[in-house]
Amino acid sequence: MVLFLLGMAAWAQAPRKAGVPKPGAAQLSPSITLVDVTRAAGLDFHLTCGGAQKLYIMESMCGGIAVFDFDNDGWMDIFLVNGSTLDDRKTGTCHPGKLYRNNHDGTFRDVTAKSGLNHCGWGFGVAVGDYDNDGHEDLYITYLEGAVLYHNNGDGTFRDVTAQAGVGNPGNWGTSAAFGDYDNDGLLDLYVTNYVDLDLNHLPQFGDGPFCTYRGIKVSCGPRGLKGSRDRLYHNNGDGTFTDVTEKLDIDPGAYYGLGVMWLDYDRDGCLDLYVSNDSSPSLLYHNNCKGGFTEVGAETGVAYSSDGREQAGMGIDSADYDNDGWPDIVKANFSDDTNNLYHNDRTGEFTDMAGASGFGPVSLPFLAFGMKFVDLDNDGWQDVFVANGHVNPQVDEHSFGVTYAERPLVFRNLANGKFAEIGLKMSPPLSRRYAARGAASADFTNSGRQDVLLSVLDGSPVLLRNQSAPSGHWLRIQLIGKRSNRDGLGARVEVKAGSSSQLLEARTNASFESASDPRLHFGLGRADKVDSIQVRWPSGTIDKIENESTNQELVIEEGRGVVDRHAAAPSGLRPSR
Amino acid sequence: MNGAAWVSPMSLWRVGCVALLLCSGISLFAQANSPEVARLLREAQAALAAEDFPRAIQNFTQARQLAPANLEAARGLLLSNLQAGHPAEVIAAGREAATRWPEDPQLLHWLGLAYFKQGQLDPALAALQRSAKNDAAGFDIHFDIALVLLSKPQYPAAAEELETALRYSPQQALAHVLLGRAYLNSNRTLQAIEQFQTALRLQPETPLVHYHLGFAYASLGRNSEAIAEYEKELARAERNAELRYQLGRCLLETGDWKAAIPHLQAAVQLDPRNGDAAYNLGKALLQGGEIEAAIVQLQNAGRLRPEDPSPHYQLARALEKAGRKVEAGEEMRRFSELKKAQPQTGGMATGRVQ
Repeated sequence: MVLFLLGMAAWAQAPRKAGVPKPGAAQLSPSITLVDVTRAAGLDFHLTCGGAQKLYIMESMCGGIAVFDFDNDGWMDIFLVNGSTLDDRKTGTCHPGKLYRNNHDGTFRDVTAKSGLNHCGWGFGVAVGDYDNDGHEDLYITYLEGAVLYHNNGDGTFRDVTAQAGVGNPGNWGTSAAFGDYDNDGLLDLYVTNYVDLDLNHLPQFGDGPFCTYRGIKVSCGPRGLKGSRDRLYHNNGDGTFTDVTEKLDIDPGAYYGLGVMWLDYDRDGCLDLYVSNDSSPSLLYHNNCKGGFTEVGAETGVAYSSDGREQAGMGIDSADYDNDGWPDIVKANFSDDTNNLYHNDRTGEFTDMAGASGFGPVSLPFLAFGMKFVDLDNDGWQDVFVANGHVNPQVDEHSFGVTYAERPLVFRNLANGKFAEIGLKMSPPLSRRYAARGAASADFTNSGRQDVLLSVLDGSPVLLRNQSAPSGHWLRIQLIGKRSNRDGLGARVEVKAGSSSQLLEARTNASFESASDPRLHFGLGRADKVDSIQVRWPSGTIDKIENESTNQELVIEEGRGVVDRHAAAPSGLRPSR
Repeated sequence: MNGAAWVSPMSLWRVGCVALLLCSGISLFAQANSPEVARLLREAQAALAAEDFPRAIQNFTQARQLAPANLEAARGLLLSNLQAGHPAEVIAAGREAATRWPEDPQLLHWLGLAYFKQGQLDPALAALQRSAKNDAAGFDIHFDIALVLLSKPQYPAAAEELETALRYSPQQALAHVLLGRAYLNSNRTLQAIEQFQTALRLQPETPLVHYHLGFAYASLGRNSEAIAEYEKELARAERNAELRYQLGRCLLETGDWKAAIPHLQAAVQLDPRNGDAAYNLGKALLQGGEIEAAIVQLQNAGRLRPEDPSPHYQLARALEKAGRKVEAGEEMRRFSELKKAQPQTGGMATGRVQ
């Protein structure tokens, strides 16, 4: 910085041209309305995560959300992971997670007591997947000390099968996890991101040392200065057990600080690749060689670092084809003083961070993002992005950094021309309120054809944002049932053509931060009043083609058989009032 | 960034000196202890007022020889040397005078300013703080202490001094600007913006205030506001290399590489040693598809910033796009090597060059 000399010559201000939207951009211009219905919906959960001052790093990282249909009634239920405190951990006081059953009327009922989801620990993330292909979604929950795999018994109860399955992640602090079938054998494998190798008896002291400061003030230590914990990849053996293939496949040899994971097929070769966001270290993109192995290609593909080649504090991640060019793109949440990434898939095996050009990045600078979800909130056929924010250091509120501990979420509306507009402040009050938010998941909880958003909030209640946008576009929802492929159809690539629009979605449960969203594929269709074609490319290689379907319905597509069931939209009016 | 250069000691020192001169002139005659000394002091004062510094120095020197215990002669000698741009002489005379009048606030003040002018920040600060200890009242002494602290750089302490100075004289636009800078460098961004806005209200033509305001907005990601402020500054500082660089960088952050390129080109042209400008120009050219031109700039940036991994990362990506895969691999290796050699600071990493 220099102080410039006085009396400089005048300079004519050069005019610049504004960006010109593509012709035929957004087909609709509805307002997006999200209403906080948490209390009315009966979600009485309180997320406990350490003390208010967040003296230690693990006190800032809780917040797993699972949206899944645990009882196969066609309505999305909710499991919320709970954390703990250091004192309660010592005394054995439990803060159980909660399972909420969807009552089909916009409300939920706490059914935890009889569910068997009762592990006592400091929980973080949760993954959803039917690992044994029995038609019932199972749960994998990460804890400060290990992890638990719950088998869904199909009768409203779950059974802890961690020991026999061999996925206990022993001695590790797991954060996010995700099921995906990397070798296309029809069985879901499991990836677990591990964060920091903490000695709970000798925790680094708050503010003590060079890695315990933020902008010159004392804060909790880490992750830098602490030992990273190596992620784990478990291969599903098909007999209820898994084999840890981390070392064999050279996964995370640098033991980076893992926080986010998702499976995607970025090069469309039919084999699931893997993207892992790491805190304060390079993020990793594992290219699947379709022969049972991976090559880490993060740096050369452009998704490991910021555009300046700097490590970022990567948190939540998600993937969707935001520009409808047929190739999955990636978003990544980062720390404050940094922009979130919007990695555009260049189709050449490389990505370009379009955060600046798209309007997605700069506005995020003061925000510390965790949960991040692609979600078409207005059903216009273009993926919007919801970002859950909240700082890790409450101490920032004592200073005028321009950064606050609790932060409002960001809602980026896709303008259908490669650009996004952040509209959070123009929306209803829940979006202008500040939260120390972490997990974010999307789901159509009312089966009404609109996607809602659920946030987890540190030391507080979750926030269920009911989508009441109007007018909203037409839509199509697809539930997959794999036969040769894994039963959930995770990893399937679905392309829907309606009118002039063509969209691609990949089936996955887990993305964002520590969370799983509605596994059904939701396509906003704008003004299109019929679906011209649907193509499902299953992980097995099977392709199902369906033509001429009506909109505003849910199709159940079974591998090799096409549409086996269909459900109309639930009647309106079942949403609770504000 | 060089702290001493940051506050432009010469121009600000002169502002301080003028103020001191105005304050001290009347008392110069008060302690004349002979008609001859009184005459010399009168003539010296007139010379000083007429900015005839050699004559003022000559008369004050003679008065000092005739009356070594005359405080006003000693003060005058320091002041006229200071005004004449002879800080070394001020320091020599000031140190000698300070043995006789160790607590005199004016002598200490001018001695401190002379040290500051010579870039001797520690003795400058010591002298100014001793001056303030003996006479803490007034805008100038706190303002001048702040100048030294800004140069050290000790921003929070500088902010405290400027806050004190502004309690004496709240209408000083320049002090608000400097307080804004001190806040900005203390991570008090919102308060910094308030100070810059106050400076603008008080004196819209205050130099660089639009630049600083733009910088503060940019640090919060408020790029459209930042660009508007930079462009206002540009209207009067077209050849300011740093301004052109920051404006170009800000435009690039918004993805407007097309608008960024001419500013970054100007920044590189105006200050060819600015590796940051060359780097960002390379990035902008790469985004614009001018790959070969980008490679040239990024190679230049790598030379100018030999320990910075970033140019090599961008260069690797540019070379990859140019199909020069072997060179791209080499640059990626260089990038990794430099990265390993970089010390880590703070608990969390951010991917943006601050």
